[in-house]
Amino acid sequence: MNIARFLSSSITIAEMEARKIRHDTTELWIRIVQPALWLLVFGVTFNTIKAMPTGSFSYIQFITPGILAQSVLFIAIFYGITVVWERDVGIITKLLSTPSPRASIVLGKSLAASLRGVFQAVMIFALALALGVQIRLDPLDILGVFAVVILFAMCFSSLSMLLASFMKTRERMMGIGQALTMPLFFASNAIYPISVMPIWLQYVSKVNPLSYVVDAMRSMLLSGNYENLLIDIFALILATVIFVTLASITIKRLLE
Amino acid sequence: MGSSNLKSDNIMAVETKNLTKIYHGNIRAVDNVSFSVKQGEIFGLLGPNGAGKTTVIKMIVTLTHITEGTLQVFGIDSAKSAELVRSMLGYVPQSVSVDTDLTGYENLLIFSKLSYVGKKERDERIKEALEYMGLTERAKDLVKHYSGGMMRRLEIAQALVNRPRILLLDEPSIGLDPASKMHVWESIKQLKKQFGTTILITTHDMSEADELCDRIAIMSDGKISVLGSPVELKKSVGGDIITLNLTSVHHGIEFPKDIGKIIHSDEESIQILVENGEEAIPLITNFYRDQKITIDSISINKPNLDDVFMKYAKRRLHDEFSTHASSARRDFVRHTR
Ligand SMILES: Nc1ncnc2c1ncn2[C@@H]1O[C@H](COP(=O)(O)OP(=O)(O)O)[C@@H](O)[C@H]1O
Ligand SMILES: [Mg+2]
Repeated sequence: MNIARFLSSSITIAEMEARKIRHDTTELWIRIVQPALWLLVFGVTFNTIKAMPTGSFSYIQFITPGILAQSVLFIAIFYGITVVWERDVGIITKLLSTPSPRASIVLGKSLAASLRGVFQAVMIFALALALGVQIRLDPLDILGVFAVVILFAMCFSSLSMLLASFMKTRERMMGIGQALTMPLFFASNAIYPISVMPIWLQYVSKVNPLSYVVDAMRSMLLSGNYENLLIDIFALILATVIFVTLASITIKRLLE
Repeated sequence: MGSSNLKSDNIMAVETKNLTKIYHGNIRAVDNVSFSVKQGEIFGLLGPNGAGKTTVIKMIVTLTHITEGTLQVFGIDSAKSAELVRSMLGYVPQSVSVDTDLTGYENLLIFSKLSYVGKKERDERIKEALEYMGLTERAKDLVKHYSGGMMRRLEIAQALVNRPRILLLDEPSIGLDPASKMHVWESIKQLKKQFGTTILITTHDMSEADELCDRIAIMSDGKISVLGSPVELKKSVGGDIITLNLTSVHHGIEFPKDIGKIIHSDEESIQILVENGEEAIPLITNFYRDQKITIDSISINKPNLDDVFMKYAKRRLHDEFSTHASSARRDFVRHTR
């Protein structure tokens, strides 16, 4: 397989998404509503009553990385719905009829999801700065956060495509998405520290990938303590490679 | 590519042997089908809904697994080198599949990139394809504002940026108004003439097949029931029928057997079955002139592909409604979206 061609196909798929976003930006703006509510209502309220043991950071500082991770998770996990919709209108058939390798199409789609994630991250950064949330603005840290956002979106969107090849309908994907996001979100350290959870939930949280992503983002945006960062990123890359590979094998099932 | 045997003429554009596709639930969509498409011809796959035409095309485009049998495109085994096979073909699916959230130009751009058209040729080819399909003026508009006919033409333009050696068209004129249909037909004929592109087309429209195809295979229930040129097929259902209106019918005249056979006669008209109407008419008029009988009027009735279709694709109505109604409905839903 020709690596240059492979990557160029993936980038072309992402370019396709970028062009669509450029033609219609409405979705980007609608997607900012939910994280904005979390920060403005939940974040500001709990910040005032100081109910959470968030150590040396204020509550709103604490949940900013959590909300960022959560909203990228939402985009990624529901990306399978977009792919099912594209199947329904024939776009996937068209893409799979080109000489581009299947895996490059799946990789490209996951890059497209991460493109949406990056836009989301930009918005949340802007919102946090507007609210006066204190975050570390070191350029390397910011780059690191974006790298994690991209990997995270790729990982979960390819998982979503893998599931879509078996679920095949938008309704089922909607159900699966909801069944996954809520437990992942509430059983993570996104909006409260692990220490306040009941013991059993603490165990769940330790195997929850979202916790590791939030952890990585917190270390770059707040603490500057990079102890676990390499492991976090390595785990994400590994999971992404596995999911993209599996989804490339199964994607043709969508057409059956 | 580049290997010289690809170019040689005795290689078939498509060659299938015992091709079979069994979908989930034991549906034999394609059942032990063997046929070849010659280079440079327009080959038609005809058949009613659910006959298995789309499934054959999907196997050629490597979009669905082949259950049994083999399939070669220009001598390349599609099971072994799927990407190489896809690089030689252009595919226009049955239902609209251009991206309506992009412009016409962008659809072609993305597609040419995914087909690895070199950066230098890209702009030129896109421009040509747009011109060829008459879309240059609307190239910068979002496709969602196009008419159905324009989308179809864009779809063909998309399949052309690849400069395919074989173009696969799945019911290309479905849902088109007569003018757009003509436009599509003209471009198909031009492609063959100008570039020698091999074309495989599926349709259930007999006039379309008659108009375009060099050879036709009629499919029914996953099998090919007959294959030949339109002329051969029409001949196989019987010859032309000539109807004569005479001033007076004279019974008892022996009609020469080498011209044709009288199949019906009444008070003032006679119907004669002949092999070739145009050649038979002068002979018939001479014959009656010699007999001193005046002909008032004369008409030829040629069998059309509808007759061929009825003969070879006939199936019980019962089947049509039970097994295949659902697939027809699904197609309909997709077309109207
Ligand atoms: N994805 C599928 N799963 C199961 N059966 C299918 C599928 N696609 C087509 N079929 C069935 O295979 C048969 C042939 O379908 P198709 O190739 O679409 O016919 P045509 O294109 O001639 O109308 C039909 O009975 C249809 O219902
Ligand atoms: Mg069909």
